[in-house]
Amino acid sequence: MNNDSPVKAFLVILLTALVCSSLVSASVVILRPIQLNNQMLDRSRNIMKLTGLVEKGRTPSNDEMLELYRGMDVRILDIDQAVFNDELDPLSFDPRRAVNDPELGVDIPADQDQASLGRRSRYMPIYMVLRDGELNRLILPVHGTGMWSTIYGYIALESDLNTIAAATFYEQNETPGLGDQIMRPEWQAKWVGRHIYDEAGDLRFAVNHGKVEPGSSTWLYEVDALTGATVTADAVTAMMHYWFGPNGYRDFLDELREQGIPQ
Amino acid sequence: MNSKDTFIRPLLQENPITLNVLGICSALAITNSLTSSLIMSVSLTAVLVMTNVAISLIRKHLPSSVRLIVQITIIASAVAVIDQVLTAYLPDAAKTLSVYVALIVTNCIVLGRAEACAMKNGVGTSILDALGNGLGYSLILIIVAVIRELLGNGSLMGHRILELVHEGGWYEPNAMLLLPPSAFFIIGFLVWGIRGWKPEQKEKAEFKPAPLPDPERR
Repeated sequence: MNNDSPVKAFLVILLTALVCSSLVSASVVILRPIQLNNQMLDRSRNIMKLTGLVEKGRTPSNDEMLELYRGMDVRILDIDQAVFNDELDPLSFDPRRAVNDPELGVDIPADQDQASLGRRSRYMPIYMVLRDGELNRLILPVHGTGMWSTIYGYIALESDLNTIAAATFYEQNETPGLGDQIMRPEWQAKWVGRHIYDEAGDLRFAVNHGKVEPGSSTWLYEVDALTGATVTADAVTAMMHYWFGPNGYRDFLDELREQGIPQ
Repeated sequence: MNSKDTFIRPLLQENPITLNVLGICSALAITNSLTSSLIMSVSLTAVLVMTNVAISLIRKHLPSSVRLIVQITIIASAVAVIDQVLTAYLPDAAKTLSVYVALIVTNCIVLGRAEACAMKNGVGTSILDALGNGLGYSLILIIVAVIRELLGNGSLMGHRILELVHEGGWYEPNAMLLLPPSAFFIIGFLVWGIRGWKPEQKEKAEFKPAPLPDPERR
């Protein structure tokens, strides 16, 4: 057939589209289980680092990780009511899918939406590390809109529910080399020991725009800037302000501080 | 051109980055780490080989009216497959490379080789051409990445080479080298160096500036 006839052009396009799309679909379907497995291990690995149960610099085996995971008290928190929900299964509950569910998700009022999320899940899985029946660490998931897409992380609080014991970000699409420095362990290590609220209960935590001088008035609450990544740094600050503010975990933290772990 | 030349020439003589100044976007963006650069190099070479083979195979049946659409469809599919493979088997690397793997689609080297070589030559020549260009791209990426990561962060592939001052060592890292513009300078120096060594690579001036009017005769 003549190469320049419209029929031939149509046929070639159709065939290319068919072959290419089946190749792409096949690769997605075949590799999906491996990717999901990676994601799950990645998530539990991220939480493990924050529990303080694994020695620094050691990577626990996958089995060990599951063991440690079971040793934690994982609950589903109803964020607005500040109570635990016993009907949802903490292991299978997916807050990302819940966002767009009419029952499980909720719109965030624009004036409170520092993290530019628009909508969030009503419920979040939270992780409590208990030692002799007492709360030792509380691990809270946070997320917010960054430069290009959503940043996901966990913040671990000491038993005073104010001092940051550890922080990690495990998923982001910030600019490589600039914003993606939030993934660097050296930077995350700077969060340790920072306070979220001051003595009056005001939310003071922030990522500074420069270097925080030790001993300065903001030293207790601020983390060093990221070189060349102001948007990402501000996004992280905004995200912390949202999740530790009145629309986020604030009520729950107050409750917990006064009444102890609700049953 | 014999087959040995097809493979060797793109390495230095006709390097896609330094002679044609193609593929600059990724060369600027991900060369702050040697690991990312290596993975990017392998991914791009793989995409180049796959697309060059596919396009060379069907080149005689490509109507010129839809030629580019078909080429881009094939390139985009190859990139999507590579992206999936990376997220499955190298999840950490895929995380750091993020959008830049998907952006291989817009890397002019891929479409450039499809048009310049695969459309006119058989499969064998196309594979050699793809490998040569892929390695030429990789070569520049690796040189830039070694300079940037070593001087900007004191490490290579994440291993500490130079002890940093804030960790108690002696080396004060040059943070500018971690920012994309530094890659621009380094590539600029490379282009200058190569063209100084091989003056035939210099482009001819496209125009001569008009002579200034003589102030005496005005």
